[in-house]
Amino acid sequence: MTTATRPFRKILIANRGEIACRIIWTCKEMGIRTVAVHSDVDRDSLHVRFADESACIGPAPSAQSYLNIPAIISAAEIFNVDAIHPGYGFLAESAYFAEICEACNIKFIGPRPGVIQLMGDKVEARRAMKAAGVPITPGSTEALDSEEEAIKIAREIGFPVIVKASAGGGGRGMRIVRSEEELGHALETASTEAAAAFKNGDVYIERFVERPRHIEIQVLADEYGNCVHLGERECSIQRRHQKLLEEAPSPMMTPELRQEMGEVAVTACKAIGYSSAGTFEFLLDEDNRFYFMEMNTRIQVEHPVTEMVTLTDIVRNQIRIAEGDSLGFGQDDVIMVGHAIECRINAESPDTFTPSPGLITTFNLPGGPGVRLDTYVYPGYRVPPFYDSMIAKVIVHARTRELAIARMRRALDAMVIEGIKTTIPLHLKIMDDPDFQAGNISTRFMEDFLARNGVRETPVGTASAALTGAAG
Amino acid sequence: MSIGVKRAMSDQEPKQPEVVPSPTDQSAERGQRERGRRRHRNPPRHLDASINMNELRELIDLITENGLTNFELEREGFRVKIGRGTFGEDQSAQAALLPGQRERQIAAGAQAGSSVQSIPTSAPSHPGAQAEEAASVDQDLHIIISPIVGTFYRSPSPTAESFVRIGSEVEHNTVVCIIEAMKLMNEIQAETAGEVVKIYVENGQAVEYGQPLFGIKTK
Repeated sequence: MTTATRPFRKILIANRGEIACRIIWTCKEMGIRTVAVHSDVDRDSLHVRFADESACIGPAPSAQSYLNIPAIISAAEIFNVDAIHPGYGFLAESAYFAEICEACNIKFIGPRPGVIQLMGDKVEARRAMKAAGVPITPGSTEALDSEEEAIKIAREIGFPVIVKASAGGGGRGMRIVRSEEELGHALETASTEAAAAFKNGDVYIERFVERPRHIEIQVLADEYGNCVHLGERECSIQRRHQKLLEEAPSPMMTPELRQEMGEVAVTACKAIGYSSAGTFEFLLDEDNRFYFMEMNTRIQVEHPVTEMVTLTDIVRNQIRIAEGDSLGFGQDDVIMVGHAIECRINAESPDTFTPSPGLITTFNLPGGPGVRLDTYVYPGYRVPPFYDSMIAKVIVHARTRELAIARMRRALDAMVIEGIKTTIPLHLKIMDDPDFQAGNISTRFMEDFLARNGVRETPVGTASAALTGAAG
Repeated sequence: MSIGVKRAMSDQEPKQPEVVPSPTDQSAERGQRERGRRRHRNPPRHLDASINMNELRELIDLITENGLTNFELEREGFRVKIGRGTFGEDQSAQAALLPGQRERQIAAGAQAGSSVQSIPTSAPSHPGAQAEEAASVDQDLHIIISPIVGTFYRSPSPTAESFVRIGSEVEHNTVVCIIEAMKLMNEIQAETAGEVVKIYVENGQAVEYGQPLFGIKTK
């Protein structure tokens, strides 16, 4: 095992909220000094309080603060930092920002700019994955020329298929087609809708999966070509492409499938020259065939569940890798122990999901065996309306899934937050849900769950919600 | 963290006074309580000879009015220690330092009787702390604040004259300083007309967004 070639004395965290705190905790353990940058409304935020140094870099709007590259680099230079950790969101997947860091001789804790760029472009990523032998959603990847071509491809990939606008999104320009007779008409209407919405009537078709599961694989790779996977996370419970709850391992996973998916992910990493932490998102159909959806070239919100079951510190590994250290362990060293569940607690109404920023008057943290809390709020803290509504992540770890569910219920019961509304009651209901307890989960879970619990939601692109489920 | 953090975080309010009974009186107090269990419980008598609540309130008012940060009183086997703001340091004594040279200010939670594990009540070393304090008393001046994070320079080059000094007259488009960010020299204009009466930062000092730079007495 080699030691770090360029050990860091100081890291600037280009983020806020719970992930900024999370990064600070590991830096403290490693003896690395931390610099927090913040907007003026985040002056009292927890990450600012616990960092060794801090600087206000702009007003509340993200574009002028957390996305403000000159301000962040300026702060990095003033404090003479060795590296920047971008967290997730904000500039974490900005190849441009990664390039500027490189140009300013500041180490960007993540993969190389070229790799970020490649995997950030959906079409390019699919092509690269296909070339690396990764299964991608079957279908055409270019626009269709004629109905005949569409029929030909549909017959190859099998019905049902979905017609999608090349330039589109948000559920528009999409039609689910269950038989060949409907295809012609569907192509026409989808194309017309696409032309109206996106000024581009080009459409293509893909296999449509009715009740897909969203399973993602965590990878770690160093800068010397060593790569491992840390198993999967089950992330099918989503509302409008936003994950609410994640777990590791997935209740439907088998050791054989895990090995297969893990090996595919590792092969793909090596093929594109990946380094640092990353996540491959896959769609699984009813027959447990998996298809590549996209790759996130950063740490993810739900990384704690993987950390709990594999007994690893992903942030620590990211830092070590960026310091030029080699991974130091192989696939055979990766273990998976017990079961972990994470609930994302948002400052929102648990019934209507309306945001609920404001002053937190009471905040009691759950504790006890197997409970981890990643948060940045405290009693007396005013949750600002300008940013993400997630205020805390409750993570539990136990020997079995059944015990983990009981533990989560107990932890959520003990979590008292007053002054704002939170989604804690929603998560308690999910823990009590028979389908959830049985592990019958797909990306349609939330829709069905909310309907069961009397919440009628206006459908937003139900086709895309069921198919893509891309969130994070 | 516990619920006690709530109090620690509201550092605008004066801290609760900490009454620290001296060792000899603690045993006397315990003796009193035990006797009290067997019969009617009386208030600890040793406090009558030392200080009462009215005196304590007067003390707190005295401290607040005069802007004192720490106060200790000892007499007849009794000692009172009252602190305002952050414990254990004297902010006014600190010279203006570049960030990185100043150690993190940690609230000294080691006060006797303090059972709350509190998180740091003061922000860590950040460029604006000193200037904010100084500017907060100049309510009637127009404060020019930094629009970006960078390094503050008084003059266009190391050998040149300062753009402005105390007493200089400025107009809206008068350049008052340069803030360097990412090797770019940004000229900062006064955006007001008047006289420079205060300068809150030093040449070469790191400044953050919103940090007070100059106090202008407007026309």
